[in-house]
Amino acid sequence: MPQFILNKRLIVLLVSIIILVALIGFSLRERSELTWPEKFVKDTTGWVESLVSKPAHFFSGFFQNLEDLQNTYHENKELKTRVEKIAELEKQVQILEKDNKELRVILDKKKTLRDFKPLQATVIGRNPDRWQEMIIIDKGKTSGLKQNMAVIGSNGSLLGKIKHVNQFSSTIQLLSAADPKNQISTIILGDTSSYGLVDGYDKEKRLMVKRIPADAKIKKGQLVVTSGLGGVFPKGLLIGKVVEVKPDQYGLNQTAYVKPGANFYDIENVMVVKKTMRVPEASDYMESKGEGQ
Amino acid sequence: MSRLLLPILFGALFIVESLFVQYTPADLFGDGKVSSPHFLLAGIIFLSVFGSKKHGIIYGFVFGALFDIVYTEILGVYLFLFPLTAYFASKTMRVIHANLFTASGVSLIAIALVEIAVYWINLLINVTDLSFVNYLEIRFYPTILLNLAFVILAAFPLKWQFEKFAEELGND
Repeated sequence: MPQFILNKRLIVLLVSIIILVALIGFSLRERSELTWPEKFVKDTTGWVESLVSKPAHFFSGFFQNLEDLQNTYHENKELKTRVEKIAELEKQVQILEKDNKELRVILDKKKTLRDFKPLQATVIGRNPDRWQEMIIIDKGKTSGLKQNMAVIGSNGSLLGKIKHVNQFSSTIQLLSAADPKNQISTIILGDTSSYGLVDGYDKEKRLMVKRIPADAKIKKGQLVVTSGLGGVFPKGLLIGKVVEVKPDQYGLNQTAYVKPGANFYDIENVMVVKKTMRVPEASDYMESKGEGQ
Repeated sequence: MSRLLLPILFGALFIVESLFVQYTPADLFGDGKVSSPHFLLAGIIFLSVFGSKKHGIIYGFVFGALFDIVYTEILGVYLFLFPLTAYFASKTMRVIHANLFTASGVSLIAIALVEIAVYWINLLINVTDLSFVNYLEIRFYPTILLNLAFVILAAFPLKWQFEKFAEELGND
């Protein structure tokens, strides 16, 4: 009889391993949407978490303020020196903006890849197991969010993109996640801009921008921004600064190591970026074929 | 009242884990080190040791499923590992005498095993490409240290709570 019980347990174990493998396989597919039970659970827990996280934000903000008070004197000193420079910059920006507008009118080109509407959202959770770098925010489909939209931090640097949307909450995959599907087209700004793809995050907390042509001359300190070519991200969101450049394995491409402008920890508020220029969808291409545009 | 207490306790542990990683500094144990809290698992192990095995496995199953759906979005990993470790923990406790120290030791071993199992699964499905040696240094030791601290703090209240729960179960 004990033999039989042992066998029964073994069978239960084997069946559950099979279910485990099936479930993992199911969730690893490219899913554009989660199943409804998952959405339901996520929205429910999201609601509870947002109840808890608001007081938590308040408390952490309080301690943050105390710390800030201690540094006020030094910060004030440094900021004063910067203010003068900013006035100068502001003047320049205004002139350039005016210029840009006029030139656009001449060209009759109103929309650019750069236009976007930001939507503020609060972080209500983060994946505790820290393998997948994911955070949960309190805005979802009802606020008009869609999969793959860009998410920026409070200082305007790119944080990541929306992985899944539910009705009232969504999950964001941070740039620091090691996901081969998470590639973002970028421009490295310089005298001549060169294009590359963000692909991976190394141990020293640097993003790797790969597939830069070997003849591109890239220096330390150059800024890296999104190119807007991927389709969903607008153009010109800051990603970070180049700190090191290396030729890749075969010498055909270069890899730039980029110090991200965003802090991937300690995130409280984020902005979801809605691109205003319409993104063509697959069906558009089909139609335009017929119309011969 | 006490029927509600356990779900609330585990729900709180579930949310505290997420709040913990959100608010504690990223490199608590030095630069580039990653530590992940497994408070929920520690609670489940204590429940199955001092409370009842059946409840430990059920709570492991439910909160494992919640963890997978809400946090990792890869279904099945914790759903499978939490009840399994709860089962084995209560089995081990039949052999050794259950007290505060042995239970703490067993829950730490369970956390270590789950961490390694999750690393192994993530390696298989390409979520990570860390080598095992790097993994030990970057994630494993800090995680164990962090959870050791939690177990030391929480062992006594958890044991007290779950023994009360077991008594009530016996009276029913």
